[in-house]
Amino acid sequence: MSGPVVPPAVVVIDDDYAIRLSCGKILTKMGLRAESFEDGARGLEGVAKLKPDMVVVDLKMPGISGMEVLSRVHEIDPQIVIVVITGYATIDTAVQAMKCGAYDFLPKPFSPDELRLIVNRGLERRRLGLESQRHEVERAMLTRRFVTFVAHQLRTPLVAVHQYLNVMKHLDQSPAKEHEWIARCLTRIEELQNLIADWLTLARVEGGAMLKERIRVDLGQTILDILKAYQETAAAERVSLEAGVAESSLYVLGDRNCLSVLFDNLITNAIKYNKPGGKVTVSGAVADGEVVIGVADTGVGIPEKYRPFLFDEFFRVKDESAKQTAGTGLGLHISKRIVSEMGGTIRVESQAGEGSVFWVRLPAAEDPAAGIGSQNDAGAETDSNGR
Amino acid sequence: MQEQKRILMVDDDQDFAEAVSCFLEAKGLTVFRAHDGKEGVKLAKMERPDLILMDIMMGERTEGFFTIQEIRRDPALKDVPVFVLSSFCTRLPDFEIPSSGGWLEHDMFFAKPVDMAQLTENILHRIGQPG
Repeated sequence: MSGPVVPPAVVVIDDDYAIRLSCGKILTKMGLRAESFEDGARGLEGVAKLKPDMVVVDLKMPGISGMEVLSRVHEIDPQIVIVVITGYATIDTAVQAMKCGAYDFLPKPFSPDELRLIVNRGLERRRLGLESQRHEVERAMLTRRFVTFVAHQLRTPLVAVHQYLNVMKHLDQSPAKEHEWIARCLTRIEELQNLIADWLTLARVEGGAMLKERIRVDLGQTILDILKAYQETAAAERVSLEAGVAESSLYVLGDRNCLSVLFDNLITNAIKYNKPGGKVTVSGAVADGEVVIGVADTGVGIPEKYRPFLFDEFFRVKDESAKQTAGTGLGLHISKRIVSEMGGTIRVESQAGEGSVFWVRLPAAEDPAAGIGSQNDAGAETDSNGR
Repeated sequence: MQEQKRILMVDDDQDFAEAVSCFLEAKGLTVFRAHDGKEGVKLAKMERPDLILMDIMMGERTEGFFTIQEIRRDPALKDVPVFVLSSFCTRLPDFEIPSSGGWLEHDMFFAKPVDMAQLTENILHRIGQPG
């Protein structure tokens, strides 16, 4: 990205002086760096030294054959694009050369335009090749770092449990203390279970589950089911749950499990990060072809400095004043992935001391009760303009 | 009578810290606990421990290394032995230790979970028997 842009380099290897001269002229005029060599041995030396982007080589030369030059160039750098020059009589050889990794061939005699065309195409190929190589290296590095990090996340609760048991084995303690430690071990094991469950959900979403299974899901019902399931948990925290979704028809197309995970995450967060006597309100509406769901809590709110990172993997809000809250740090990341895979958006509004609202917008599917004559899924997409 | 030897333990995992410090206290050592690097530096300056047990991965970063550097910047603490306890890798060379990190000859590395007998033996060997 930085520094002066170096023009691509092309090496021409041909025993014919006239061809070397004319190719050199044309390539230089194209703004490329061009060097030519009269035989295979010198040519290979030049390639090793110059590390060019492209090599144009005559197949029929005295000394090292063009075919051998071809394979030796790719030993130096497999990403170098090679074009072979060949006479009409040796078309078969040209085909063989391409099987050996040559990118294209130029039959003799060729015009300057033909050379320019083939060189430009070859250089574009080289650029794409390098780019995908770079992406692959980056991806491998990210994967490796990520695996290391996840291993650490999984190991942490396991290490804590192991250490407790190890100390309990070697140290006589009061039954009360032992009892407390066992309870903490169980909590950490639960943490590990949750981490693995979240992890599998994430793998499922990343594996394209949202795209594979697209059935019509009534979000109003999904949300009511989740709220019902958390009634007791919320009551224990002295948090009340309210739903403003019953009468709306909130239909989307997606994977039922993933959608449950999405709103489960948002609703449990709203309960967890609330305060005694607080309230969780889930609202739903359809607007401009989108289903809009809001999950609002009356907790302490999310400091502005944390908001940009809220949906990142393993990000946890560190709040010195608040109680330590159990969690894997994956919930909101998973939620965001699910929403994005469905072509929707998720964002947060937060007010210090008053609470936060998570807004989820998803493309609306047709309401089976409202559609007339277009009740099948195939019609739903084409009909959106013609209603 | 000799004064009790003092250990500072810096670790963001409260359960791990609880288990280890309980064991060390039972062996006659005094243990101070800090849950992050910042608190660790503060406690180190205040309590002048005889030895520090340091976690590396705290939060999302290798905070332990910065904490060691910060502690060693204090002339009174520059020679204090540091034992690194980490589950991030099973042996030390996996970490890229900055040359300015001030890794000292008497510092040691222990993989989590820690063998308590071995850890205690090494601590006592380093700082002498408790009074």
